[in-house]
Order: sequence, then C-alpha cells, then structure tokens
Amino acid sequence: MNAIFQKVYDFVDERIGLKTLEAKLMNEPIKGGSRWAYVFGSCLLFIFIMQAITGMLLMFYYIPSADHAYASTQFIIHEVDYGWFILSYHFWGSSAMVVMVFAHMSQVFLWGAYKKPREMIWLVGLVLFVIVMAFGFTGYLLPWDQRAYWATTVGVEIMDKTPIVGDFLARFLKGGPTPGQMTLSRFFVIHVMILPAALMGLAGLHLFFFRSAGPAGPFRGTTEELKAKTDFFFPRQVWKDIVAMAAVFMIICTLAFIEPVQLLEQATPDPGEYHPEPEWYFLFLFQMLRWKIFSGEFGQFLGAIAIPGLFLLLLAALPFIDRSPERNIFKRPIALLSWTVVMIGIVVLTVSAILNREFLD
Amino acid sequence: MGSVQPKIKSKVRCVDGEVGEVAHVIADPLSLDVSHIVVRANGTERQVPVSAIGAVRDDAVQLTCNVAQFSGFPELEREDYVSSKEVEIPHLEDRIRVEPGEVLVPLPVLEKNCARRSFFAGFIKVIGALIGLPLVWPVLRFIMKPMYVPYDNHWIKIGNISKIKTDDVGVQYIFKKSFKDSVLEREEDKNHWLVKASPETLKKIYRHGDITFYDEKGAVVWVNNQTVPYVAFSGKCPHLGCGYKWRSHKTRGQVFLCPCHLSIYDATGMVLDGPAPRSLDVLPIKVAASGDIEIIDVEYKAGKKEQVRIA
Repeated sequence: MNAIFQKVYDFVDERIGLKTLEAKLMNEPIKGGSRWAYVFGSCLLFIFIMQAITGMLLMFYYIPSADHAYASTQFIIHEVDYGWFILSYHFWGSSAMVVMVFAHMSQVFLWGAYKKPREMIWLVGLVLFVIVMAFGFTGYLLPWDQRAYWATTVGVEIMDKTPIVGDFLARFLKGGPTPGQMTLSRFFVIHVMILPAALMGLAGLHLFFFRSAGPAGPFRGTTEELKAKTDFFFPRQVWKDIVAMAAVFMIICTLAFIEPVQLLEQATPDPGEYHPEPEWYFLFLFQMLRWKIFSGEFGQFLGAIAIPGLFLLLLAALPFIDRSPERNIFKRPIALLSWTVVMIGIVVLTVSAILNREFLD
Repeated sequence: MGSVQPKIKSKVRCVDGEVGEVAHVIADPLSLDVSHIVVRANGTERQVPVSAIGAVRDDAVQLTCNVAQFSGFPELEREDYVSSKEVEIPHLEDRIRVEPGEVLVPLPVLEKNCARRSFFAGFIKVIGALIGLPLVWPVLRFIMKPMYVPYDNHWIKIGNISKIKTDDVGVQYIFKKSFKDSVLEREEDKNHWLVKASPETLKKIYRHGDITFYDEKGAVVWVNNQTVPYVAFSGKCPHLGCGYKWRSHKTRGQVFLCPCHLSIYDATGMVLDGPAPRSLDVLPIKVAASGDIEIIDVEYKAGKKEQVRIA
C-alpha cells in the first residue's frame, strides 16, 4: 500500500514539484518561534471552510423565495436528519467568525504587525473584515423570519443614509423601494455567490502578501534571542493551529447542541409582539443609534454612516499614520488606550442593548 | 554535455593559459541543458559554447581552445537574454543550478527589439475595454429592473371604524396586501395605525393645513382634510423603518413607541422623545358611510427630516 502511495506521490511530484511545494508551504520560519497568539488566522480559515461546507449542505433544501424560505428552513430544522445541527453549526459558526475576526485584528493591532512592510496585508485584511460582516448581514435575512426581516429593513435604511449613492445602494439591495422577494433573491446571491468568491480571492491574496512580507514575530527580544527560538510553521505552529481549530470546532458544536437555531415567526411587515433587534455583533451599533446625539437626520448620518465609516478609514490609514517602527504595545500608549476604549465601548453598548430588552417587555 | 554544471567564478583556462572566470551560465530553454558559459576576461564577457569545454572541475573550467581562439568568441549581448528568475520555464532549476549567480536564457528571436510591445499592451487594453464596456449598461439595467417601480396609488380597504372605541388612542389595523415580484404573486400582512382624533388632536395634525399626496410627477393624488376625524399613520417608523406600537409609557402615558431605537410619538404623531427625525407619516384616508376605511399605502423613506416618497 505504501509502495503504491509512494509511486503515485513520485508521479505527481515529478510533474508538479509536490515536494518543493510542500516544503515551501511548511518550512516558513517563524521569528521567535510558534505561539498560541498566532492561531487566529488559521482558525478563521478553518471556520470559513466549515461555513462553506455547511452552507452548501443547507442549499440542498433551502428555497430562496419569500413564500418558501421560512418553510424550507423549518423543514431543515425539523424534518431533515441532522438538519438542525447543520443549520445551528452554520449559525454559531458565523458568530465564531466574527469573534475570531476581532481576535485576529486585535492581535495584529496589539503586536504592531500592521506596520511596514505589512501594510498591504492589513489593508486586504480590513476588506476581509467588511466581507465577514456583510456575510453576517446577508445571511440572517435568508430564514425569512421576523428577526431576518426587521434586521434587513433597518440595515438597508441605514445604508440609504450614505451620501450620494445611498438611495441607489438601498434600492439595489432591496430590489425595489420596499423589501420583498427581490430583496431575498439579492441577499441570497450576495451571500452564497458574490461574498464567498470575494472572500476566497482576497483571503488568497491576504496569505500571498503574508508569505511575501513574512510573519512579524514578537515585539520584544534581540535578533539573537529571536533567532534562537525560531522554528518552522510545521510542526509546532501547525500543531498549535490544529489544537485551536479543534477547540473552536468543539465550542461551535457545543453551542449548536445546547442552543440550536430556533426561528421566530415568519417575516411580515407587522412585527407583532416581536421587538426587532439585530444579531448580537451588530447590537453595539444598534444601541448607539438609540442615543439622543444620533437623533434626527444629521445625527443618524453621524451615528450610522459617518462614525463607522471614519473608523474604517482610520483603520485603513493606520499603517500610514503610525509610522514609528516601535511594535511593543507597552511602548505605544495611544494604541493601547484606543484599543481598550473601542473594546470597552463595544462591550458596554452591547450589554446596555441587552439590558434595554427588559425595559421593553 | 547536459551534465556540465560550471560554478560561477570558476577559473577558465585555455590550453595555453588562464583567460578569466565564469560570469553566467546560459541555458537552452527547450532542452534545459547548458548551452554556453559566459567568461569574463579583461572587462569583456564572451559567450563560449559548451562544445568548447574540455572538462569541468571543482573550481576551474578547462577549454579545448587556445587564448587566440577564445578572443574570437562573440561578446555577450546582455539585452538578448533574461535571467531565469524573470521567465517561467518549468523544471529549469531542477536541471541547472549555479550558485551563486544567475542562469541566463536567450530571449526568443521574436521578442528581440520588439518595437510593438507597447502597441500590443495598448491593443490588449482596448480589446478588453471593447468586451467590457458594452456590458456595463446592459448589466446595470439588468440589475436595476425592479429598483424604480412606479408608486402604488390604489386604495386598499383595511377595516372598519367600528373597531375604534376611544378618541386619541392608537388602533392597529392589519390587512393583506398583494405583491408581485417578477412572477411571484403573494399576499403579505401589513399594518397601519388609526387614531380617531379629538378636535384638539385633529387641529394639531392639520396645523399646516390640508395634507396633500403627490405622485412621482408631482400631480396631486389625494388631499386629506379636517372633515375626516380619522387619521391613518403609516406603520413604518420614520426613524429607521421598524414597526412601532401603541403602548403605555412610565411617564408619558399612552404613546406610540418604537422598540427598535426607542422613538416615542404622541397620538398626533409628533416626536416626544428618541432619535426620530420627523413625525409619523399620515396616509391618504377615505371613510365610507358604512365605516369602511380605505387608505393608499404610501411609503416614505425613513430617517429623513422631510418626507421622501418611495412607494
């Protein structure tokens, strides 16, 4: 058996240089050695692959029509063997993706790994961040339940406030002046075709840039110390990555088991007793828009478009503004402070959105 | 002579003496064999075919010619060659290795002095544009098909006023509206709120006079006036389009409250609190002698100070 495998391997190797390819993939020196802090990128790739697989499976039964989306999702949950699990995995996987993106970006930010010569990796990474959020936003319309309908209605109204292109963008997404079948069709195409293609292409580019610039390594230590601890991507980092992936897999499975997806009522333009609310990772933005300073037409533009937009622009400009080569986070007080403020802000807003629920009931 | 792997900087000796050192190695792009070595001697680089190599040793290359014959070999025309790093020739580096240094590969004859390179580059872009540009408009029109449909100015019966018992209280009317999206026809629940306005409330609602509704050309579709004491408010919150409800508030009593971003309106539709930029939207209303209520399902854009009709 081994001999046959070896023959096949040699046959392929002779033609495409498999051995070299393997070596190039695995023998990437990691300055200062492998670390648990470096697992987030690999975990994101793993989560995405699982989202792609579970997503494809869901499409075997899901029907993207306003008449059948809800019923076909219910069918997946209640009739299809393990349908509840596949859907719940996909649902929790999307949350895991968002959590992991935040972890990954935070790590890169705190390690100062966005600095020269890694600006391009950071920029592509930011686009990937937006794509991940867009995945979440387009994904939860698809079950066509009350949460889906209202989150989309509000989300699209928010985009409508973008200067100049807002009206076009909102109509483009809704497929008309008001939400309906065309909205579902468009969100479906964006979610299952456009975003996956964009993500795969850009993630490839992200990795290519990463391999071209090389890993940044720790922000402390002399060249000799770093050299002494350096190892290859394989085996120690790959091992850490796979352990982290297994942990992520276990957590998502556990969540899918103890908190499987339950649909709300079918979507209607009458919310009934339902208090519309977006997915948890948009709650901070949602809560922010409740504030008095973001009231009125201008306030709304400020809160919904200008601030998130400027924040993204600031992140994009970060490697070009922060040009000091210092990477040690403990010697970058402004960076540390900003990160802490943003994180606390998000947590506080999210928690207060959850507390506000009680006030509404 | 396919196995000749002379080292860069190896001394090169003719039968009658040393002439210089190996500067480059030239590979044949088809056979992947070394075809020439380039010998640097007294500031010139000469191309020596492998047929003139007698032996390759660790640090020296022995030629079969003499110094005079060596001077007859052509000088290297560097611009006629590219480094193997700049050209994609599969397996070349498996066959020929020179360290340190570069393997040169002759430029194909057609690539030498190719005066039309920039012309070709431009031509390729033009053809690409000729394929792409004619698609822009059809693709745009294709995706825009449902985006700008005319307003729906049909009267829809939503219920009867007998449901309303008290003045200045919001009463929800849920009704079926039929939609047609491409070929899919379906009915969907919609909801609007009615208030039977007391004279003061009515006065407040009509504080700017009659309420006029227009179509997309600016022609008047309908005018609401104070003779009808019933007022229909669109069920869409003018903040960001959620569905609001009539409910009691701790300090403000009975109000319209939107659970999304907590905008609060009184029975006249005016904003009492929260982020909403304008009052609730009044809809065209007709009340028949039988008490049947008909409305036009006018929809305005949320989040604007002024009403911008979209449906």
